[in-house]
Amino acid sequence: MAVRQLSETVINRIAAGEVIERPASVVKELVENALDAGASRIEVVTAAGGKTLMRVSDDGAGMTAADLALAVERHCTSKLTEGDLMDIRTLGFRGEALPSIGAVARLTIATRNAEEPHGWEITVDGGEKGEVAPSALNRGTRVEVRDLFFATPARLKFLKTDRAETAAITEVVKRIALAHPHVRFSLSGPDRRQPLDFPAATGPDARLARIGQVLGSDFVDNAMAIEAEREGVRLTGFAGLPTYHRANALQQFFFVNGRPVRDKLLLGALRGAYADVLARDRHPIVVLDLDLDPHQVDVNVHPAKADVRFRDSQLVRGLMVGAIKRALVEAGHRASSTGGREALDFARPNGVDPRTGGWQGGNAQAAPARPWSGGYAAPRHVPSRPSGDAQDWRLSAFRPLHGEGASGVEVLEETAQDAGAFGFAESQAPFAGFDATSADTRADAMPVDAGLQAHPLGAARAQLHANYIVAQTEDGLVIVDQHAAHERLVYERLKDALAAKGVASQMLLIPEVVELAQEDVERLLDRADELAECGLVLESFGPGAVAVRETPALLGDTDIRGLVRDIADDIADMSEATRLRERLDHVAATMACHGSVRSGRRLRPEEMNALLREMEATPLSGQCNHGRPTWIELKLADIEKLFGRR
Amino acid sequence: MKATLERTDLLKSLTHVHRVVERRNTIPILSNVLIRADGGELRLKATDLDLEISETVPALVEAPGATTVPAHMLYEIVRKLPEGSQVVMETSSDQATLEIRAGRSRFALQMLPESDFPDLTAGDFSHSFEVAAADFRKLIDRTQFAISTEETRYYLNGIYFHTVESPNGARFRAVATDGHRLAQAEVAAPGGAVGMPGIIVPRKTVGEIQKLLDEPEANVAIELSETKIRLTTGPVVLTSKLIDGTFPDYGRVIPQGNDKELQVERAEFEKAVDRVSTISSERGRAVKLAMSEGRMVLTVNNPDSGSATEELVVDYDAEPIEIGFNSRYLLDIANQLTSETAIFRLADAGSPTLVQNSGADDTLYVLMPMRV
Ligand SMILES: Nc1ncnc2c1ncn2[C@@H]1O[C@H](COP(=O)(O)OP(=O)(O)OP(=O)(O)O)[C@@H](O)[C@H]1O
Ligand SMILES: [Mg+2]
Repeated sequence: MAVRQLSETVINRIAAGEVIERPASVVKELVENALDAGASRIEVVTAAGGKTLMRVSDDGAGMTAADLALAVERHCTSKLTEGDLMDIRTLGFRGEALPSIGAVARLTIATRNAEEPHGWEITVDGGEKGEVAPSALNRGTRVEVRDLFFATPARLKFLKTDRAETAAITEVVKRIALAHPHVRFSLSGPDRRQPLDFPAATGPDARLARIGQVLGSDFVDNAMAIEAEREGVRLTGFAGLPTYHRANALQQFFFVNGRPVRDKLLLGALRGAYADVLARDRHPIVVLDLDLDPHQVDVNVHPAKADVRFRDSQLVRGLMVGAIKRALVEAGHRASSTGGREALDFARPNGVDPRTGGWQGGNAQAAPARPWSGGYAAPRHVPSRPSGDAQDWRLSAFRPLHGEGASGVEVLEETAQDAGAFGFAESQAPFAGFDATSADTRADAMPVDAGLQAHPLGAARAQLHANYIVAQTEDGLVIVDQHAAHERLVYERLKDALAAKGVASQMLLIPEVVELAQEDVERLLDRADELAECGLVLESFGPGAVAVRETPALLGDTDIRGLVRDIADDIADMSEATRLRERLDHVAATMACHGSVRSGRRLRPEEMNALLREMEATPLSGQCNHGRPTWIELKLADIEKLFGRR
Repeated sequence: MKATLERTDLLKSLTHVHRVVERRNTIPILSNVLIRADGGELRLKATDLDLEISETVPALVEAPGATTVPAHMLYEIVRKLPEGSQVVMETSSDQATLEIRAGRSRFALQMLPESDFPDLTAGDFSHSFEVAAADFRKLIDRTQFAISTEETRYYLNGIYFHTVESPNGARFRAVATDGHRLAQAEVAAPGGAVGMPGIIVPRKTVGEIQKLLDEPEANVAIELSETKIRLTTGPVVLTSKLIDGTFPDYGRVIPQGNDKELQVERAEFEKAVDRVSTISSERGRAVKLAMSEGRMVLTVNNPDSGSATEELVVDYDAEPIEIGFNSRYLLDIANQLTSETAIFRLADAGSPTLVQNSGADDTLYVLMPMRV
């Protein structure tokens, strides 16, 4: 068979295969072009998940007629200054996107540059390039892509449902929008019920405002600000508290010089940073920007530009792990605020606003034995002077709290017996529940110490169900899961001890020979000293194998091969032997679990307060070893809302 | 099927047999025990597909036949029947349930057809010999603790039995190791055992054999092939698959030239180790042994809680040496030794140490030190 030069159209279709995978990739390329053109608002319209139509309009610089004609040619770009691939400051640089799209779809570009008297437009139809003709557009650029992949039917088959493609487009736009808070983004079309609109944010908190628009205000409330710089590499952004996590890693946004990337090194560093505050199958939410000299990073790894390569990956990794860990320690015992908020949602009976009345007793525990009389529509009741029918009042769970404690908070002490004395034998049911609860009121015997209340976790007031400590703070109340909290404290202590005294190793009678790829062998041997410090001693055993001579004694009789392979993977993935540390920490965690105060143990007030103080003093005590919160806080303001007082 | 038998006999056999049955099974028939009544006896059989135990009990068989019923439940029932009672087992006329009667108690257990019951006994055996139950028990008792529980090195999950030649004739030897320590015990090889293939008997089988060999005077008939072992003692027949793997060349790790010999009173040593290790809170904590002329100092350091030291008078006149061991391993071995004096043969802090009873040389232990 003779060798032939491929036609331009075929070359473009092959290239398109790499750049344009699905509608969302088109949207990404077009939006990036608009940003490169300096747009301040970008409007995206799609139909049928982008399969039939994608239109991206911007108010950027536009193109002259001559540039427009060139723009749809392969390898034509205005962006590479002197062809320096090492100095990329724009999102695009390959000069590939528009010709690729033109090769596989019907592409129309209308544009107007200030130098031109009027706008121009051009059409490329499955690779067939039309003439540049005058257009009525008088500002910016509008790119319209219809019938994607009509020219390459094989590709069409691989597209997902309209709904899935629409969702992918939304993801792309959100991702880019996160990095460009000063640009307004809108996304609409018949394929989406709810158009998206992210107005331009300004001012010093623009970024945070945009994050709120895109990810919701919950994340903003539960995020730690990250800021760090080392050797010209700057890391900024926000990372979620460990108690605010997700089952997948989709909400992890990384930007390198404003370019959204999905990079193994960065993902690995993130996992490392959260390793001991999150369970393995939970994922933190982050929005992080890495800014560095373009010479220090290669974005030309793959046509889709989602992978990057750092000159000094150790530096980047170290910076990120260090900055996040520091933030985690500073956030200390801070736990997710949604915990408290979710609790409030539960407490709100049937979600009905009590002020509007019509209360049907949706909350089983607090349900009155008889419905409230219709006339009693204002539960802004004054407990000491019950209005209406005294019997109804007496039977409701809203009995007045007897007396007025110094602090205004008291613990219920009356029992069903008192109620019996009133002679309402037929309606004692609501009291049954009260009787069964196990409020330990010993803490209440102590005078409330205003000094204690000033602490972040407040003064212990009671222990409920032998596991929950209720503490009073100056402006709310805190509920602590005593088992989870203590487990975390013990774990942190054990980890410190482990770090302080080093790890004992058990020598092996018969060295375990582990066969590995030669690269892995070399990686392991490079780190042999570091591994030995953790109790794993290995040495070279001919080509493609290592011999393990000692293992960490803490692990006991363990799967040595599995361990060594995991570690080799870790070093390859993220150039650090996290898994060995993790395993050791895991043993520490298991021991912590056994060594901690079980739920079900009554604590004396002094013990409760001591636990609260130790939590405040221990970094990372806001969540247990599985990422669940160890405590939640209810603000007085929230509680008042609950009772319709606000 | 209809048979009558003594509760005591039935309970004894069921006790042996039902233990094989796993508590949780995905194949229903494996939860059952097979009961076959024929010619003046009842045969009970249970299996987990790797291990099978069957046993016969004398019975008055009125109608021969066979069936299967849930093993643990049958065992519980028979256990709770009054002592000295007679048990009647009879299948219902529709062959759906097995009725068990004793005194005024009456149970009906759902049956599964005996034809579905798996059979492990197929295959020929290449070697067969007899050994005293006490000897075989000893081999197991002395080595079982060192079996590895780590499943990726499956070939260490059992005891390795084989024969070796020695100046005092052929020996029947058992070895187990978890890679940290090794235990070896041997007896004179019975005729017929010489030349047998080396076999690895799985941990669960070892445990069951140990429980069956409770009458030291008895003899055990052993038949084996490369893949299976069968052991017969009295009315019990145990058949088990062997671990299909190669046991490591353990001979290389048994030190030959350890010249620093130490003799210590075994019970005293055990107590001392136990006392000082109280201070350590986690597993894998090291005990440091410092030997010098005539004495041994045991030390445990735990930065969390403190330290412990104890001094023992020992028989030692080699160069001073310090060496660390996992305290649990030391206790295990001290427990195994039977003589009043234990002998340690040491080389240095990074090499295997040999531990033996004084006088006898039919058991030996090798222990790897820890580095702290
Ligand atoms: N919205 C726009 N406004 C102004 N100019 C544009 C716009 N879109 C494209 N261009 C011009 O067209 C050229 C070609 O765009 P194209 O996307 O094909 O390549 P690129 O952005 O340079 O590189 P890449 O292939 O990496 O995206 C750009 O270099 C730019 O000059
Ligand atoms: Mg581009």
